[in-house]
Amino acid sequence: MTIISCRDLTRRYVQRGIDPVVAVDSVDLEVDAGSFVAIEGPSGSGKTTLLGLLAGLEMPDNGSVTVLGHDLARLSGAERARLRQRRVGIVFQSFGLIASLRVGDNVALPLALAGVPEVERQTRSRVVLEEVGLGRAFDARIDELSGGERQRVGVARALVIEPALILADEPTGSLDEENAAGVLKLLAEAVRRRGATLVLVTHDPSSASLADHHYRMHDGRLTAGVLA
Amino acid sequence: MNLFRHSIRLVVREPRRTLAALVGVTIASSLVMSVLLFGTASGATVTRRALADLPVDAQVVLGPGVDSGGALATIAVDPAVRTVSAFDLAHFDSASTNTAGTATQTSVGVLIGVDPTYSATTGLFPLSSGTLAPGEVAISRDLASNLGAVPGDSIAFVLPGGGSVTLRASGIVSLVGADLVLGPIDAAHRAAGANAPVNVALMSQADLASHVLPKIPATATAADPSTSGGGASGGASPVFAADPAVRRELHVQLRHAQLPGDPVAAQAWLDTVRRRVEKQGAGNLQWVDDASASLEPLAKDLAWGQILFIFLALPGIFLALALSRLAADATADATRRHAALLRARGATRRQLRNVFMIATVLTALVGSVLGVAIGAAVGLALFGAELASAGLADALLRASASSIVLTTTLATLASILPLRMQLQEEIAAGRQELQRNRAPLWQRLYLDVLALIAGAVVYFLAGGSGIHPVLNAEGNPTVTLALTSFIAPLLLWSGGTLLLLRLIGASLRRSGRLTRTLGRLLGPGGELAGRSVTARAAAASRAIVVLALAVSFATSVLVFDATYRQQQIIDAQLTLGADIKAVPNGAATTATVAHLTGPGVAAATPFVDRVVYVGPEAQDLLAIDTATLPGVAPLADSFFQGSTAAGAIDALKARPDAILVSSETAKDYSIVPGDRIRIRVPDATGNLKTVDFTMAGIALEFPTAPKDAFLVANQSYVAAQTGNDSISFVLARAEGDVGPASTALAHRLGDGWQISDLGTTTARLANSITSVDLSALVLLDISFAVIIAAVGVALFLLAGLAERRREFATLVAIGAEPRQVRASMLGETLFIGVAGIATGLLTGTLVGITLLQILAGVFDPPAEVPAIPFALMGAMTGVIVLALGAALLVADRGLSRLSVVAALRER
Repeated sequence: MTIISCRDLTRRYVQRGIDPVVAVDSVDLEVDAGSFVAIEGPSGSGKTTLLGLLAGLEMPDNGSVTVLGHDLARLSGAERARLRQRRVGIVFQSFGLIASLRVGDNVALPLALAGVPEVERQTRSRVVLEEVGLGRAFDARIDELSGGERQRVGVARALVIEPALILADEPTGSLDEENAAGVLKLLAEAVRRRGATLVLVTHDPSSASLADHHYRMHDGRLTAGVLA
Repeated sequence: MNLFRHSIRLVVREPRRTLAALVGVTIASSLVMSVLLFGTASGATVTRRALADLPVDAQVVLGPGVDSGGALATIAVDPAVRTVSAFDLAHFDSASTNTAGTATQTSVGVLIGVDPTYSATTGLFPLSSGTLAPGEVAISRDLASNLGAVPGDSIAFVLPGGGSVTLRASGIVSLVGADLVLGPIDAAHRAAGANAPVNVALMSQADLASHVLPKIPATATAADPSTSGGGASGGASPVFAADPAVRRELHVQLRHAQLPGDPVAAQAWLDTVRRRVEKQGAGNLQWVDDASASLEPLAKDLAWGQILFIFLALPGIFLALALSRLAADATADATRRHAALLRARGATRRQLRNVFMIATVLTALVGSVLGVAIGAAVGLALFGAELASAGLADALLRASASSIVLTTTLATLASILPLRMQLQEEIAAGRQELQRNRAPLWQRLYLDVLALIAGAVVYFLAGGSGIHPVLNAEGNPTVTLALTSFIAPLLLWSGGTLLLLRLIGASLRRSGRLTRTLGRLLGPGGELAGRSVTARAAAASRAIVVLALAVSFATSVLVFDATYRQQQIIDAQLTLGADIKAVPNGAATTATVAHLTGPGVAAATPFVDRVVYVGPEAQDLLAIDTATLPGVAPLADSFFQGSTAAGAIDALKARPDAILVSSETAKDYSIVPGDRIRIRVPDATGNLKTVDFTMAGIALEFPTAPKDAFLVANQSYVAAQTGNDSISFVLARAEGDVGPASTALAHRLGDGWQISDLGTTTARLANSITSVDLSALVLLDISFAVIIAAVGVALFLLAGLAERRREFATLVAIGAEPRQVRASMLGETLFIGVAGIATGLLTGTLVGITLLQILAGVFDPPAEVPAIPFALMGAMTGVIVLALGAALLVADRGLSRLSVVAALRER
């Protein structure tokens, strides 16, 4: 079953006085359910833009994106938000945690946005925090955590909604080698346990090597990659 | 490194930062500019109002033997002169009638000779009844009352030097507004407040010249008015040089359109005219400058007025400048980004600071100039006509220069602190973090609490100080202002501000309840708002304080203005006596009152005001009907010493011969309640009769007698003792609006009565700075308060947006719907709005009440309770809520333009 389907996906950035930049150029991509796909490429190659298009955070200039059976162009902004809220988890390079919230509240945030009652939110957040090894950090402040711990909180937040799809944008980019390997392993195992699909964009070939399917991105173009 | 070029580049290349910094300075500058223009315009209003009440601008006294016609022709051709009218005055020592064998005599007075057009030209001496026939006289109401004379009777006048003349009265003439031309012309008499004569007979100038003047010797002098009927009010009379028995004058009206609006400039112009005319008269013309004398006290009054206007607007100016702090918060990212860029290019710490300082001064200067342009446009729109008469170019130039210098300086100073903090953050982030956790110096020193205590102490110590009316050397009323009266509101305002900042900051740091409340109201977005406000406690409390102070500023101005208006009406009520006053042109008795009640008039009471003598001292005896007066005239407890209003009236009712005296009389004669007082009261024939009264209490104020020495007694007793039951006037309480009731009454009574009401009295009483209509200033202050409130909250929201771009982007990425993100912002606005408006309304009312101390001496009686204009405060709150809605829309627009992917990439 296909979870993501992109056809001729193109995204240009137009700035006054500068030639248009084609960030994503005629990309075709099919991702099957339960697979782990890595998209590798240097900085500025268009990886994050592609991930934004898959998440429905940006809209393409050309082409179409179908995610979990929904043609994103046909959904309203609120409908796309609800799709992310309930079925798509996103992990960010710089963690994307909200400093004013405690760890538990950060993890429970997608559930809160979905209107899940507070007791259930707490229970599910504690469970997923245990899963990532931060069970005792529920009431901790974000600034009390290390970089690796922060990213584990980010992973927990993506997992708490039991997503069908996880989009991870350089999740190890801000971490040292040891922490990076740990977080990536954690993410991959958690996704596998849930039978979910993981799309990872990274500039790090070693991170990409863990994936089932490997693509390279260069100047906005996507090509099937060869595992190193 | 070319610092200036880099500063310009900073201003130009960071437009968001520049724009945010400009907002506060521009608002402050436009407020200063428009308030200064208001001051100038009010100067022109006051000047015009002061001169509009004058029947003549100058009295030119002719020297002995000067040809009146020739002098008149000389003066009339002066380009500044609009009209010249001849006016001759001859004193008489006594006047008498003999009707049906009963002789009645009265004391001193004056015979006036005017040319036929005088009354039409000056508006003085209109006939109340009868005519002014050749060879006859029209007499004043007082002369008619004193002699019991009616048109048709002959009156014998004994002239100075022993001569006499008998003339037939053909009409009754009104003396309203004629005190200036009838009274003494020398400064000494005027300074002593010498009364104008009330026994007046008017005739043509030709008749006076032929029948009266030849009978008065050239060396004759008038009887001393202070001892024979025209006495100075209150206290012992000073000794003056005797007035000549005859005065020949020309009364001049000037072209007011040529007068500058500024009273000082107007006086200089009048002085030029005086010198020009006196020069032509070669020493035989003495110019008595009534216009200049009226303007003399205005310059100082206006200086106080300007201080008052600026003081009322001062919180607005400070608040507008405080927006610079919020603007700096809102654009901190731009500051840090540009600083990093300059450092990367090799700028030293000092160079960095200088670049930002120059850019700050440039921005402040541009903002000031922009504000001046806006303020000028506002000023011209609101009071362009007054500004034009005050000299538009000069007014604009002076106000612009002051506004630019003041606001550029203050805005630069206000921006330095946040700028230094941001640059230090850039240079030494770690050290800054440590400093941030320390409470500010003022909190550690408890300056807020100390300022509040000091303010309360000053308020109670300086109670009653403020603006006070006094008579200047020329006898014109002017004001003095105790600057201490500004200190209490200033201390309370600043102490309250700091305390508010401390309390809100402290409560925000531990407010889980806020998060839960907003969560219940607005869902997850509201919950986020609560947490965000708590996390940004310092910035949130600054926004709340700016909003609270803007509301407080507007509220205090509204309370001040409402109380000012309330006191204007109370002042007028006290002077007039009631809503409506009806004065009969002829004789009237208590029975007349029955005719006055009818449509528009709810109740009426007869009133007698007669000059009586307590020892040698003339005082006004107010004889009242205790049964009807309390239902017509306003009586406050503060009018009476040692008693309430009801208690004082009861004391009068208790015995027929009861009398209330002034505290001065009680002190001078050492009398206490129960003591007998002998007073000489004029009987029906005008002769003084000694009547015994019993002192029943002390009256400090009484309707119709706000300032003079007076006595209050029972009318029935006075009538019985003197055989004189004539009344002076009738006071009436209007049913509904005073204006229509007054018009209806005037229509019903016809020509035999003169009707005045509260509306006309308020306008007539208004002189000097109390004549300034504060509504334009209030409108200005309120408008700026609303703008400041809206901009303050918008800057807070935009600062939040700038600080939390990644946070909002994260929310959107993990599935927050647009409405949920909006709810977060709405929650923040709601909390800040409710907290700011509620505390602002409360503190504003308190500050408004302390501001009333400034007015303590202006109104008589002083304000007992402040007027709280709930409807206006509600409307103002509504406008501020709308403005906050607009601020929310601005922030929402910024949010909708947020690029989520780009924001997530930012580190």
